[in-house]
Amino acid sequence: MSQEKDKLIIELVNKGLDGDMDSVNACDDKIIRAKAKAMIMKVKKGTLERPSMPESSSDAPKEPAVDNATNSGKEDDSFQKMKDMLSNEFPGEIDEIHGDGILYLKPDKWLEIAKWLKSESSLFFDSLQCQMGIDVGNDMLESRYNLHSMEHDHYLEVRIKIPRSDAKIPSVETVWRIADWFERETYDMLGIEYEGHRDLRRILLPDDWEGWPLRKDYQEQETYHGIVVPKMKEGWE
Amino acid sequence: MGLLTNKFQQDNVIVEKLDKLLSWSRSTSPWFFQFGTACCAIEMMAAAASRHDMMRIGIIPRSSPRQADVMIVAGTVTMKMAIRVKKLYEQMADPKYVVAMGSCATSGGPYWQHGYHVLKGVDIVIPVDVYVPGCPPRPESLIEGLLKLQEQILEDRPLTRKMT
Repeated sequence: MSQEKDKLIIELVNKGLDGDMDSVNACDDKIIRAKAKAMIMKVKKGTLERPSMPESSSDAPKEPAVDNATNSGKEDDSFQKMKDMLSNEFPGEIDEIHGDGILYLKPDKWLEIAKWLKSESSLFFDSLQCQMGIDVGNDMLESRYNLHSMEHDHYLEVRIKIPRSDAKIPSVETVWRIADWFERETYDMLGIEYEGHRDLRRILLPDDWEGWPLRKDYQEQETYHGIVVPKMKEGWE
Repeated sequence: MGLLTNKFQQDNVIVEKLDKLLSWSRSTSPWFFQFGTACCAIEMMAAAASRHDMMRIGIIPRSSPRQADVMIVAGTVTMKMAIRVKKLYEQMADPKYVVAMGSCATSGGPYWQHGYHVLKGVDIVIPVDVYVPGCPPRPESLIEGLLKLQEQILEDRPLTRKMT
């Protein structure tokens, strides 16, 4: 793929140097256009020799459009591949599949799956970009993980649904160190217990606060250390 | 000293109530406790910096509650912070004054209705002398509030026995 792009760039550079800048500007792919223009500038300055014309040069301007189409197809393919690999490695762990790179997993084997996602060389999810919690209603809580691989530049969103009454999920704090504070915040706001977390305390609210504020059924406490919590200055509105 | 320059005859004798002299000297140097709880602190810093220059009216930031006379509560006071604010207030030496700066410190501000974690006005935990509204108030408003506080201090009679 990149060889074809190089060819295209060199072709455009040659055209541009011959005075045909219109065909350079007509190129749809921004990056190729920019590279070609930069190369033209360098050749004109004399810091770079003029590249020789590649052999096959028939349908040059059409190619970037084809590139784009295959690219978007490729993304879906990679998600499909991830999904297949995961279901082969951990059969029965995928709960539900959404498009757009979102997977619902069951909580039981999450830690093993996380370790595998990070260590498997063709996936290599080395960065946990975000972790958050949400109360989705119907007595269900959800913990979401946005994963990204620096090496392969692909993304995956993992969601784990659990009932409010038994809100326990294995902690991935030992896999991605950043999850430490993320999970503490989710625990603070929604009361999801991350099992295996080495320092699971509240992070924003005081340690002796009662209840989980972002749950939909949250009732604020009456007093905190003798201070009235709900608004009390009646008649001010 | 601007008030007194070239105001005397030969002997620099002044006849005045000691009460008044004390409150006058006190009012011209209300050092404030330098701490901020939220975004109002930025305006407080601006007020203390060179453009607005609170020092010209004798107001200097101090970093210890033991050396401060005025506590400017600049910003949102959360429940977690309320306990600390109260403790700091108790550490200040008498006489002490409190300025509640901004909507949050005066009434809870935007957290009035649904902010379960915010104190609905710092006057719930400590007595407040001057309220400065605004979100956040401009440095001019803060200085106006401090001038009002100076007027209040001038009216104090620290040596007179209080009628109860």
